[in-house]
Formats: sequence, structure tokens, C-alpha cells
Amino acid sequence: MANVLDLRRRIRSVKNTRQITKAMKMVAAAKLRRAQERALASRPYSAMLAGVLESLKRRIEIHDPFTGDLRHPLLETREEKRILVVVVSGDKGFAGGFNANIVKATTQFLNKNGKKEIDIEAIGRKARDQFRRMYRDAEIPQASGDEHAELPQRHRSGPIENYGDHTGILNKIEFEQVRELGEDIVARYSRAEIDAVYIVYNEFKSVILQRVVVEKVLPIIEFGQRQVADSQELSAQDRTDAAKAAATSGVSVREGEPEANAKEFEEEAKKFGTAETDYIYEQSPEDIFNAILPRYITSQLYHAMLESVAAEQAARMTAMDSATNNASEMIDSLTLTMNRVRQAAITKEIIEIVSGASAI
Amino acid sequence: MAESSTNTLRVRLVTPDRILVDQTADAVEVPSETGYFEVLYGAAPLLAVLGAGEVRLHGGEAEGQRFHVARGFVEVLPERVTILAESAQKPEEIDTGAAQQMLDRGHKLWNEAGEDAGKYAHAEEVIEEAESRLASAKGGAK
Repeated sequence: MANVLDLRRRIRSVKNTRQITKAMKMVAAAKLRRAQERALASRPYSAMLAGVLESLKRRIEIHDPFTGDLRHPLLETREEKRILVVVVSGDKGFAGGFNANIVKATTQFLNKNGKKEIDIEAIGRKARDQFRRMYRDAEIPQASGDEHAELPQRHRSGPIENYGDHTGILNKIEFEQVRELGEDIVARYSRAEIDAVYIVYNEFKSVILQRVVVEKVLPIIEFGQRQVADSQELSAQDRTDAAKAAATSGVSVREGEPEANAKEFEEEAKKFGTAETDYIYEQSPEDIFNAILPRYITSQLYHAMLESVAAEQAARMTAMDSATNNASEMIDSLTLTMNRVRQAAITKEIIEIVSGASAI
Repeated sequence: MAESSTNTLRVRLVTPDRILVDQTADAVEVPSETGYFEVLYGAAPLLAVLGAGEVRLHGGEAEGQRFHVARGFVEVLPERVTILAESAQKPEEIDTGAAQQMLDRGHKLWNEAGEDAGKYAHAEEVIEEAESRLASAKGGAK
């Protein structure tokens, strides 16, 4: 049986752990609040973009009436042979099942599309590390200076390869960096290097309303309409855990006033560029349309990343909350055992004294 | 307010990060891709692609404010102007060092573009944005 000293040491160590998890939980809660605000603040912009596209689409033909060609390469639907999957995970662990769920959803998707050539573009260190262990890095052919020359054939070592990674941008998401990624993806799609683009990320509506989604970004089929290929909701258990964690760290579970305000603005934002008037177009509608399309993709990526960050912090908060609770339980049970052991020792000593005295 | 609400514009400047401006103004200067235009109350509905340049707000709550914007769109309605921009900064917030670097990068792209029209256009865009940013920052200093 463990002695009192050992138990006391263990209790002290668990107490320290609890202090750490508690601090991490509070930090995650603070970060979550900020991430939530950012995700919310980015909504009007993307809603407006979708609104303009929607109204422009009614005014111009997607197909050229003379040649029958598509107005923009991003609207072109090809047979899906080569797919790009953008995986948004976290940079850090200690977030419960957050990263594992993302990787799981991606793996399921990969298995489903096993026969196709798939490139993985990992955003976030956790997914990158995982997929690096599973697949090789792609050898990306360098374009020669001459633009008219065909790009050299890419040599593939397997059907699935890691195309690139972007770690560290989630720490402080800047639109500029996302734009670079978005432009790169758009360029590759326009060159027909890839036939479809999917993004796997954790959607965040509120602390208790989250899901991992696999969403098709390209080709664009319907604006403002999200093409969710697959989704995984939070389990009821996770949801109650999350609600408990939120309640103890002062994060609102329900949509509060700022959200209501944002919603009102969002409603209005949807009307952007959709007024029932005949606009004068400074540039031709086609030009405007073509200028917006790539931005629409970038805005979707940006939005997905912001939501994913909020979801990551929420997951971390929940995980750290249950870790704190577990530590508390452990301390209780260890304290109980320690008291019992101490009591037993005292009793034993008394018995020894008493029986020693009676022997005299 | 009752009087002003009849003849002032409601101006919104929206970036991917936040709503930067949501105020009233009498007139707004907007840099479109093909040049500046000024919007007054009652303007005809218009939709345009933004160029790199300065949005200037005159009168109303927003009097005298200037923002450097790049890459975006503007929607004009008789009583409302909404500007969507991927980048929008106040002149005093502009990082001139970064803008200078961007300008150098643009010139480098220009020199390397060779025979490719697309690359030239891209280089030109970069240079234009950097130059307008620098000009905007200088204008703010005086």
C-alpha cells in the first residue's frame, strides 16, 4: 500500500496539472471569443461578394452566345480526375478530437476517391505532419521562363501526394496570405492542372453547433450555395461537454446581441449589388464578373480558416475543461485514499500501543 | 438629422476583416479601375471594379476621412455607396517600407515578364498598387 508521503506527492502533481489545464482553458476561451468576433466580422464581405455574383449571373450569359465557350474557366466542370484537397487543421494539439476528426474526415474522403489523383494541401501543422507520414511530397515541376511551353509532366510517385503546406498562417490569419493561396489554386484550376477543389474544415456556428465538412469549392456551380460533400456533426456527448465548458468560462453559447446585429447587416449585405435597378456598369459585366470570381474563392478559403480557428479554440476549451474536471476527480479520490491510509496507520499505531500496554 | 437624411449618402467600406466605415457623407470620391469618380446623393445605380487608390469622404459624419483601397468593387445606389475592398488602410497606417518593397517586386516582375502579356499586366497591377499606396502615405504626412 502506498504511503502517505507518496500520495501527497501525487496529489501535488495532479494539482499542478489541473492548474495548467485550467489556465489553458481560460486562454482558449479568450482566444475563442476573439476568433468568434473575427469570423463574424468577415461574414458581410463574403455575403456581399456572393450577392454581386448572384445578380451579375442573371445579367450575363455564362456561355458565350457565339462560340458557346464558358465566360470564365472557373465555371467549367470537368470530369474529376485530379482533385485538390485543402485540409484545414490546427497548428497545435491539446484540442481533444479536433485534429483527429479533420484527419479522419479527410482520410474517408481519400478512400472514397481512391482511384483519382489527389493532391493534399495542408493548412495547419497537425494535418501536415500526419499526411507527411502517409504520403510522399509532390515533385512540382518548375515552369520555364517561356509561358508558351507546356509545363513539364509531373512525375507522380503515387495517386496521393502532398502538394504543399501552409503552417503558421492560422496563428494570425491575414487576408494577404490567404489571397496568395487562393490565387495559386485559381491559376492551377484555370490551367486544368486540377479538376476539382475540396476543402475539409471544421465549421463553426456556435460552441455547441459545429461540424466537420468536406466542401466543394471549385468548380463553382451555384453562388452562395455551399456544396457540402460530407459532414460530421458533434456527438451529443461532445455537445453537452462543450456547453458545460462554455458556461464555466464565460463564453456565450447562444447567439447574442453582436451576432444579431451582424445578422441584420448580413441580411442587408445579401442585397448588395442585387437591387432591382439597371446598374450602369463601369466596366463590362463580364469584366466585373471575372474580377469577382477568383476573389470569391479566396473569400471562401478565408472564411473557412476563420471558422476553423474558432472551432479549434472551442475544442481546446472543451478538452481542457474536461481535463480540469478529471484532475479534480483524481485529487478527490487520491485525498480520500490518503486519508484512509493515514487513518489506518494511526489506528495501527494505537493498536500497537494499546496491545503493548496490556501485555505489561 | 431629419434634414440631412434626405440628401446624404450612407457610405460603407467593407473589408474581409470588418466593416471599416458605416457613416453618412455628402460626397465620396472612389478610384475605379478606369479612373476616379465622385458620387453625390441621387447618383444613378452603378457597379464598378475598384482600382488601387484613395477613397475620400466629404461632408457628413465621415468628413475628411481618406482610405487607401485596392482590389475590390463598389456599388452605388442613389442613397447608398458600398465599397468592398480586399485591402483598405488609413494613409497614416500604411507601411511605406512594405509598399516600397512591393514596388521593387513589381519592377522586378516587370523586367522578368519577357514576352508574356499576362505577366506584364500582373506586374503593372503590383506597381500601380504600390505607387498609389506610397502616394497616399505621402499625402497623409503633410
